[in-house]
Amino acid sequence: MQKQSFLIGIFDDEQKLVDSTRHMVGKNYKIHEIYTPFPVHGLDDLMGVERSRLPYVTFLAGGTGLLIGLLGQVFVSSVSWPINVGGKAFASIPAFIPIIFELTVLIGALSTVAAFFYCTKLFPGKKVQVLDKRQTDDKFIMALEKIDLKEDDQTVMDLLKNQGAVEVMVKEL
Amino acid sequence: MDKLTIGLALGYGRSVASKVAKDVGVNAYPFSRTKYVSLTKIAGRKDLALTQTHHSMEGRDIVRETTVNEWSKDSSAGNKPKMELMSMWEDHKKTGHQWAMAMDLNKCTGCSSCIVSCNAENNVPVVGKEEVFKRREMHWIRLDRYYQGDENNPEVVHMPMTCQHCENAPCESVCPVLATVHSSDGINQMAYNRCVGTRYCANNCPYKVRRFNWFKYPHDDLVENMVLNPDVSVRSRGVMEKCSLCVQRIQEKKLVAKKERRSIFDGEIQTACQQSCPSDAIVFGDMNDPKSKVAMSLKNPRNYTVLEELNVRPRVSYLTKTRNKD
Amino acid sequence: MSAQDEICHLRTPLVEKERTYKQISDDVLNTLEKGPSKYWLIGFTVAVLTLTLGVTSIGYQIATGIGTWGLNKTIGWSWDITNFVFWVGIGHAGTLISAILLIFRQKWRTSINRAAEAMTLFAVCCAGIYPLIHMGRPWLAFWMFPYPNSRGSLWLNFRSPLLWDVFAISTYLTVSAVFWYIGLIPDLAAIRDRTTSKLRKKIFGVISLGWDGANRTWHRYEILCLILAGLATPLVLSVHTIVSFDFATSVIPGWHTTIFPPYFVAGAVFSGFGMVLTLLIVTRKLMNFEHYITVNHIESMCKVLILTGSMVGLAYGTEFFIAWYSGNPYERFTFINRATGPYAWAYWIMVSCNVISPQLLWFKKLRTNLVFVFILSIFVNIGMWFERFVIITTSLHRDYLPSSWAMYSPTWVEICEFIGSFGLFFTLFLLFIRFLPAIAVSEVKGVYKFAQKKN
Repeated sequence: MQKQSFLIGIFDDEQKLVDSTRHMVGKNYKIHEIYTPFPVHGLDDLMGVERSRLPYVTFLAGGTGLLIGLLGQVFVSSVSWPINVGGKAFASIPAFIPIIFELTVLIGALSTVAAFFYCTKLFPGKKVQVLDKRQTDDKFIMALEKIDLKEDDQTVMDLLKNQGAVEVMVKEL
Repeated sequence: MDKLTIGLALGYGRSVASKVAKDVGVNAYPFSRTKYVSLTKIAGRKDLALTQTHHSMEGRDIVRETTVNEWSKDSSAGNKPKMELMSMWEDHKKTGHQWAMAMDLNKCTGCSSCIVSCNAENNVPVVGKEEVFKRREMHWIRLDRYYQGDENNPEVVHMPMTCQHCENAPCESVCPVLATVHSSDGINQMAYNRCVGTRYCANNCPYKVRRFNWFKYPHDDLVENMVLNPDVSVRSRGVMEKCSLCVQRIQEKKLVAKKERRSIFDGEIQTACQQSCPSDAIVFGDMNDPKSKVAMSLKNPRNYTVLEELNVRPRVSYLTKTRNKD
Repeated sequence: MSAQDEICHLRTPLVEKERTYKQISDDVLNTLEKGPSKYWLIGFTVAVLTLTLGVTSIGYQIATGIGTWGLNKTIGWSWDITNFVFWVGIGHAGTLISAILLIFRQKWRTSINRAAEAMTLFAVCCAGIYPLIHMGRPWLAFWMFPYPNSRGSLWLNFRSPLLWDVFAISTYLTVSAVFWYIGLIPDLAAIRDRTTSKLRKKIFGVISLGWDGANRTWHRYEILCLILAGLATPLVLSVHTIVSFDFATSVIPGWHTTIFPPYFVAGAVFSGFGMVLTLLIVTRKLMNFEHYITVNHIESMCKVLILTGSMVGLAYGTEFFIAWYSGNPYERFTFINRATGPYAWAYWIMVSCNVISPQLLWFKKLRTNLVFVFILSIFVNIGMWFERFVIITTSLHRDYLPSSWAMYSPTWVEICEFIGSFGLFFTLFLLFIRFLPAIAVSEVKGVYKFAQKKN
């Protein structure tokens, strides 16, 4: 992984962070990413984050689970080895519904979680890349890309400080 | 019996016996020669090992009975008309042999021969007094005995109760592993080697005819085990068992008939209980054979099934008891 | 002018003391770095000893037979399935708090959801023991799962409620575990970043999956949590419905009734909240979480108790009325027998604990008295255990044919196994408290400013 340089501003108040983000986006600065200890609302729209397509995964996976449940049970009970159990019909669909529902939820949930891990590239053993150890504790970090930065570092850092950043620095990831 | 009368089983006169009969019972013969006895209440309590502790039908429609006079006027006296019950499902095909059984409550004397012969035929384990006290006896057929009427002079009725081989068996629907299913000839089958022992089938049986192997009742004894019937498997611990309509005998006669290239004639297959009943109260046969005895019993106006309203459609039916009163 | 100054003063604060975000982290996560307290050690020792007792009893029973229990041919299920339903029911409160309160945007759930969801997982583990050990041949338990084999393939009876149970409980355990784990990831990352122990850093580094708190990740994360909550809500309703089907789809009077699904679900939430209250009233004191798990939180949970307790009481009345109204002699007898027969003592314990006691919570003075609430929560669980015992045992012991009527009493094996299940539950819960954050730190930070007073 190539090391990239970022100019980061560390905030300790999420409202100041949101205001600063609005300001920087308005000035056409490229924000690489913002790191927060909890989700801060308002950043998605400002950063132009597209709405995640995870719900589609859930729908498709759940539908798959439903089909597996329905077709699987019907096949096993009426095609593969039809057995008279309690005088019921071989393809007794009402009796199959509970398992169909459970498989829908199970496969839907597990697939969505797998898709989440795939999209966010989270996996056990991943090399941790944090800009500052306190970004999971109480600090909010805005990382600006240094490429295409027209002004010099000091100007940007002063700008961030004016907007409420408690620390500014250049870091590599 | 009068309140001042005591009935005492005489026993067989022994005073020494092997470990099975050690400390069981007393020799009451000495009393038979005594003129005067006295009765003293002693401290302590002895619990009796009974297979039935409740003797009233509680007003439930279990045994239907009438008197001979009523029956001679109307042969369906004491019986109720067959219920019209709906089903969610279409019936399965009933072609070929369809085994059924009918028990005549009138002929049954409660002698228990059926129980003894069923135990012998089907390797039913003997569980011992302690287990009987805990209500765990293993008899596949039992005789329910109900008292009714005057407390001091009650009327008795005996009702042999086996697996009713219901067409819509509640036990079959709830077994998770398909250990109990329905055969194409109408028998509720029990696959011992598939049973994992959840006991849901026994809970769901409204007739409570299923028996569970709570411990490893059989044991390795070469001499004792010579009494076992080799045609019937011995069940292991944790497995459910019940009346199979002597399926080993059905299979045997089917094979004989197949070899001789003929059909089975009525009465050729006899279940163990039917074979030993001294009054021929039990009738077994193919209900699809219109000339069979069991088909006749089914057409008899005295015929009914127990707990008919549950719509489980038992293949075992009963004929109303007809008392010869007045 | 920042939003901080615009906070509404009409809402009760969710965290009662003024905390900075760092202080919130420290409050919850510092205890994990310290060694175990003496209370923890005593509790853990008792729990492990009790668990050992349970394991020994189970071993004896599997080696000897189900005959070591008090069951017989009339009453095939009693303590085994009572305990199973008891533990599954307790689990449902955690999912309700995690999932349903998330969907209803109830921000007060953030300080209790982690511990409650953990309680769910452990309760389901305890519940899962019983379907295994109640089998006559538990070494063949794998036959309950569909797999292709050389016997036909011989599959399963998908119409059996016990098999529905297998799928439902497996799904519930899996989805709950996944939901709980997903919620833990940001906090695990926080521990990874602040711990000084090399071993902890390594372990938490692995289990936090490289989480960095990036906003895009948070975006997907929040959507994932909503999806999982949306799936978990019908799941939790369906799981206890399916458990109730074990009884409702049978033919036995007292079991065969359509009121069981909503009745069981309401009862499960009721007993679950009882257990959550029992656990959290003690935990908040011993771990100094009183300003996170506030009296308001306890009050809100008591309100859920009133709601679900009333539903359960209504269900009792409905069952009894319908039994009479139906004219069915078997059904009528079953209910009269419950109240006046040989197990009437169990019935009246059930009614007094489940119907009468939650109604006391209408009084604010009692709701906010934590000693009272603690004792009441224990009665709720006793009452709910007896409810399952009454349903299962009294319906079986006197059903259709009076010739089969019998009595049941538990043996020491069953009693030890039940006590052992509490041992397992508390062992797991104490391990959780010791090594993992018991409060969802990132979630509490996220709602901290909501209704916080500014001095």
